[in-house]
Amino acid sequence: MAPYDDWNRVEDEDDEELQDASSFEAKKDVILFCIDCCPSMLELREDPDDEDAPKKCHLYAALDAAMQIQKKKIITGPNDSAGILLYNTTKSSENKKGQGSEIKPNLYLYQPIGPLDVAKIQDIRALLDAAKEDPEELRRMFPPLEDKRVPMGDVFTSCNWVIRDGAPKTASKRVFLISNQDQPHLTNSQQLITSARTTLTDLMQAGVTVEPFFINAEEEQFDLNKFYSHVLMQNAFAEDEDEEKDPSVLPESISIARIGDLLSQMRFHEVPKRAQFSIPFELGAGLTIGVKGYGLVTEQKKGGYKYFTDLGDRIEAVVSKTVYLDQELEGEMDRSNVFYGMSVGSQEEKTEDITGSVRPVLAGQRPFYTADEVRSFRTLGLEPGIKLLGFKDRSTLAFEDNVKHSLFIYPDELSYSGSKRTFTALLKTLIKQDKIALVLALTRRNSSPLFCALLPQEEKADDAGWMEPSGFHLITLPFADDIRAATVQEGYRAPTSLEEAAYAWITKLSLKGSGYQPDSYPNPALAYHNAQLEASAFQEEFDEEDFEDLTEPNVDMIHKRAGKLMKDWKLALLDDESSNMVSVVSAGSKRKADVSVDETEIRSRHEAGTLAKYTNEQLKAFLKSKGLSVSGKKADLLARIGDWLDDH
Amino acid sequence: MPAERAGYTVHMFVVDVSKSMGEPRTIHLPPDPNGEQSTKTITNLEWALQYVKLKIQGLIYDARKTDKCGVIIFGAEETRNIVNSKHGGYDNVVEYIPIATPNAGTIAKLDKLKPSTVYGDPVDGLIVATETQAQELKSKPTWTRKITLLTDGQNIIELEEWEATAGKLSALKVSLAVIGVDFDSDDPEYEYQEPNKSNVKLQNEKFWHDFVEKVDDAHIGTLGRAMVDVSEPTTKETKSTLSATVLRLGDVDTRADEAIELLVKTAKCTAVARPKSFKKFGVRMKEGTKDQEEVTINADGTRNITYAQLKTRTDYVLNQEGDEDEDEGEDGEKPKSPVKKEEVDADGDVNMEEEEEGEKDRRVTKEDLLRGFRYGTAYVPCPPDGQFPRLPTKKGIDILGFFDAKKFRRELSMGEVYYVWGDDKSPQQQCAISSIVQAMTRKEVMAIARWVNKDDSDAKMGVLTPIQFDNVDCLLWSQMPFADDVRKYNFASLENLVSKKGEVLAEHPYLPTNEQCKAMENFVEAMDLMKAEKDPETGKYELEWFSTQESYSPALHRVKQAMFHCAVVNDLATNPLDPPHPLLLRYFNPPKKVLKRSRDALEDCITKFKVKEVVRQPKRARKQEHVHAANDEDEELLLDRKPSTSITQEASVQQVRNAQEPSKDGDGSETEAESDGEDLLLDKAPPPKKPFNPLPTPGRSVSPRTHSRSQSDLQDSSIDPQRDPGRVIGRTNPLEDFKKTVASTAVYIKAVQDMGDVITEIVVAPFASRRTAELKECLKEMRRTALGEDEIETWNRFLKDLKDKCLNSRPGNKEFWSEVQGMGQKGGLITSSEAKKFGGSSDVSEDVALEFLN
Repeated sequence: MAPYDDWNRVEDEDDEELQDASSFEAKKDVILFCIDCCPSMLELREDPDDEDAPKKCHLYAALDAAMQIQKKKIITGPNDSAGILLYNTTKSSENKKGQGSEIKPNLYLYQPIGPLDVAKIQDIRALLDAAKEDPEELRRMFPPLEDKRVPMGDVFTSCNWVIRDGAPKTASKRVFLISNQDQPHLTNSQQLITSARTTLTDLMQAGVTVEPFFINAEEEQFDLNKFYSHVLMQNAFAEDEDEEKDPSVLPESISIARIGDLLSQMRFHEVPKRAQFSIPFELGAGLTIGVKGYGLVTEQKKGGYKYFTDLGDRIEAVVSKTVYLDQELEGEMDRSNVFYGMSVGSQEEKTEDITGSVRPVLAGQRPFYTADEVRSFRTLGLEPGIKLLGFKDRSTLAFEDNVKHSLFIYPDELSYSGSKRTFTALLKTLIKQDKIALVLALTRRNSSPLFCALLPQEEKADDAGWMEPSGFHLITLPFADDIRAATVQEGYRAPTSLEEAAYAWITKLSLKGSGYQPDSYPNPALAYHNAQLEASAFQEEFDEEDFEDLTEPNVDMIHKRAGKLMKDWKLALLDDESSNMVSVVSAGSKRKADVSVDETEIRSRHEAGTLAKYTNEQLKAFLKSKGLSVSGKKADLLARIGDWLDDH
Repeated sequence: MPAERAGYTVHMFVVDVSKSMGEPRTIHLPPDPNGEQSTKTITNLEWALQYVKLKIQGLIYDARKTDKCGVIIFGAEETRNIVNSKHGGYDNVVEYIPIATPNAGTIAKLDKLKPSTVYGDPVDGLIVATETQAQELKSKPTWTRKITLLTDGQNIIELEEWEATAGKLSALKVSLAVIGVDFDSDDPEYEYQEPNKSNVKLQNEKFWHDFVEKVDDAHIGTLGRAMVDVSEPTTKETKSTLSATVLRLGDVDTRADEAIELLVKTAKCTAVARPKSFKKFGVRMKEGTKDQEEVTINADGTRNITYAQLKTRTDYVLNQEGDEDEDEGEDGEKPKSPVKKEEVDADGDVNMEEEEEGEKDRRVTKEDLLRGFRYGTAYVPCPPDGQFPRLPTKKGIDILGFFDAKKFRRELSMGEVYYVWGDDKSPQQQCAISSIVQAMTRKEVMAIARWVNKDDSDAKMGVLTPIQFDNVDCLLWSQMPFADDVRKYNFASLENLVSKKGEVLAEHPYLPTNEQCKAMENFVEAMDLMKAEKDPETGKYELEWFSTQESYSPALHRVKQAMFHCAVVNDLATNPLDPPHPLLLRYFNPPKKVLKRSRDALEDCITKFKVKEVVRQPKRARKQEHVHAANDEDEELLLDRKPSTSITQEASVQQVRNAQEPSKDGDGSETEAESDGEDLLLDKAPPPKKPFNPLPTPGRSVSPRTHSRSQSDLQDSSIDPQRDPGRVIGRTNPLEDFKKTVASTAVYIKAVQDMGDVITEIVVAPFASRRTAELKECLKEMRRTALGEDEIETWNRFLKDLKDKCLNSRPGNKEFWSEVQGMGQKGGLITSSEAKKFGGSSDVSEDVALEFLN
């Protein structure tokens, strides 16, 4: 959900530097959930994680996941569309017109593709609620096809039709195929395989990618080789359709997971994978490979509000447009005739013949730059690309050498053949030698050249079944201009005894796990905002009591583990000579009467109710020492100090 | 970084405007876009003023109110200064610009200065400047005083009591710079000796050197050198302000006896410095017209047009065409849906355009707008203050726990880094932080911490790492992502390839072989930068090359330079911008030494990895509807190279080519040699729906093959449509490519080989005769390099081959060979005696070489 003024940003030549991945995500995404309804999908099963929970069928889980994804997307991408298509059911479509009118028999278009919508989500929710009450509800709603199966070829063809009718042309189009059948046909006929393969090819040629989510049964592993490998292998259904044309290699994204992991697997695919750039990477003169860049870490912000207008019968969004005007004459100026220069100054002397905002020049002369020239100043005439400068030790990449989030670089075999092997060799070498690469990078034509470090990333599986991909992290280094000198150059240093005391509680509070885990910390402000937005859209009450902030420290655990040691350290600190030292007045500041007040003294006066006897100066000095605000009248100051003393 | 306080400075410029300053001089202008070198004649005064203007521009740019300046001129026709009005004397000295914070008016006023017809005494000017400055700073003794004197040293100087003046300058702690027009310089980096120097000037230069000796803080230099210095990038020093907050651990509310609460100060450690934005201007049009320039006629009959500064207005427009528009919005061109056309037609066809305009741009006044959020198709009204109630939070930094620093994932670091110090006013708090920092350092841990800027503002997650400086211990904070901020995309494994039979593959074109890995390892070792910089003390290469502390932001400083430039010149066509300062480009290429060292390893990699640029085969048109769809998918073209879009993509390449070639060689027939059936087919492909749009859409950068023409004339446009994959030399501009390659890299063999191949190809292609002169230049340059860089063998082999191709192949090019013969030795084989002179060797004797050309 981009704030209303995001568009101007794209057009505004001055601010490209600020531009982020957001503009790339303005593209619409369409997901068609295509769910198998065969008898096995409707069989009631125990929840593998919770034996007491009521039995549910796979179809329930699939629909639930589809709803969750829609709920999430409705906030992150309000322009996106979704639909739900069921196959292997005897339920037939009633509507004879519009979308889905011509789908094959035994398929049912439960929700045609359309913009995400509160009513549609409520529909699924109502259905799921009913199914919770009566486990047979889904079987009644969508009676499974008992004695035969729909050919997969028909399924793919129907997907194609549904998407053709419902999805905007420019959108990225995806089919989430959900099934637990590794052998979707009752008979194993070559003809069925061939037709599935051809229809899938058609689907892909229409720009649709298929992302299968296969459900693994406890007792029997989902076997790709039975059917799907023959169909999918040929068609390379990776998101990047340009990748993996090589039939000998398995495509990258087939999810085979337990039913309990279905939703989390889908979450990985919630946002279509999109490269931010595809540029050459020059290792040396004559050795250039292709790479693509992805934003794996991007701050997800709350959506800003947009402007709407009430048309009487409906509310419509309005868009903002920026026009350029002559400051005095108010005439509109065409964008292509805009020139760039320095301000002619505002505090002109009256005697000057240059007035405020205009600059007269001889006809034919031009004191200002064109947009192209301005762009070339920013790029220094470089073309987009990454250029290797050399290699350095990994340890030279300092913690503080950071200004913005990193990007992820992966080879692009399709722009330069041989990119993958070269990239992999480089990656392996750098991992082996514990090195990083220093590069000069211009990632887009309207950005500026940056010095970056390429940090090699080894392939690694984590506990949640997520595979950390191999590639390079492109980390932007600060320029000299970006580095601020330390404001504080001197400070009191702790003696060893105190360091020992701190060491004790730090040891107790050290987490065993694997460092900082982003997954453990959902953004509380964002969740709080979205929960209210959702409640408001569904016209429900928002209950703030239900809200849990997972980023708050676990104070109980802290006190239980280290409370005693922390107290010891505090006492040791009070004994330290630094506690009796007067702060050195920094040079240059004007001498003032000594206004320092002691905390114990102020506390006793507070208790005695004679706090007001202090002068404003003294009160402010105390507040300042506690890092509190010193604004307001004396009454405000007294109240603030009172509050603080009560709190502590 | 010097500890000098930024701002709080009065800078006086003392400028010589005597008659002799009107002498003309020729300066070299930077090459224009066509590479044409040109010169320009200006007066010495104009040259000196350029320096002053650049200095003042710097002050304006930094925009500090306490950076003031004033301008005193001497050698003026009149007299107007404070010393004169008090005591008389000090003739021909004028307080031209009173001390003030400079603005663009200051620059404009400087432009009006003209050389006078008289002479003035520079020491008088200096005294007036000192007095004027002292007057201004009477009550501000701590301010920094600077005086810069610019003179050509042709004046008569009153030599009485100059020591007293020098003493006064020292007493007032004035920092003095004397900059002379064409003063001699023995600076090793800028040696200069003026020919035919006049006796007066000789004397005066000597005088100024003596003078500067006597002043505590003074230096002298020549203007040419000063001009180089003044364009050197400087960083604007910013001291981050401290903000107070608390660092917490545990429950400070109910378990205060155990919980820790420390007063800390935070400040930015890194902050991206961005160039100032340009102001926007447009040519003022006659009122009521859209395309007629407003022209005023000057007294001398010349015509003036007016550039007016632009302001912006935000319009709110109701989108009539539904959300389809949103995709098109980026380039500001809305598609005209057929439905609407019908409507318009029904209305009567007269004002179709305007009707549409009206339809499209239905403006809504701001008062009628509602604020709300989109929730799918629904509208959720926004609470009056623009957002929903915020999650209550408490100001401060809460520590959640500590973790092994080795587990820190550097790539997750999301933003600018902050310092966290113990309260600078409280030794106790400093001591507390210090103990924590030391303990964390010893234990090698970092802390996970949650940062809230002020009560009820949004929390951020991050890590704190301990750092020990010379005299203070502190923590550094960096923001880390929330779960919501991390994208999990699937990528195929690079090393773990599975065949369709489910087997793990050990050999595959995607997998590097052991041999390839070895070649890469050698390359990485050769390109190591840890010991690539010369230590100025020992003269050995043992320092690390590249440091963030010395890497200036090229864009920032280039933009700044451009801004200064356009503020001081009136026409950019006759006064093009100087090239970027070399310091900015210092790290744009690997160090020469490293390049040389890695030459063989790189060659080995090139041979072993065999990387080839993939030339996209245009898809033959499939069905009509697909082609149509492709046109709609402009956006897709930018990112994913979908087959369905390759037609538009290639077509636009073709367009660029067509646009470029004629300008180069008349009729573009050069491309004929290139054109094959595919290309011809492309010409017939439907043109892209939109005209080629130079406005950068972010994704356009993705494909190097679709670069716009506007980019092609930039200095380093590395993409030549006529350059074959794997080659460093293209056919469009081989000489330039060659020079660039030789200058920027040290891979001579590749350059010479490719050059040879390219020359041969051009020679035997049709219409080669048009390029004969160019090719001969190429040959000369190539031979020179081959001789100097010991690629003699390569040259001789090439030349024999060329002769063979010219004379014995069909169609060949006998004419060209006779041209080569005409070049004599410059185009002949390199003989052993010639090679010896350059330290190389050749097995070609003089006789053989002679025979070869006849």
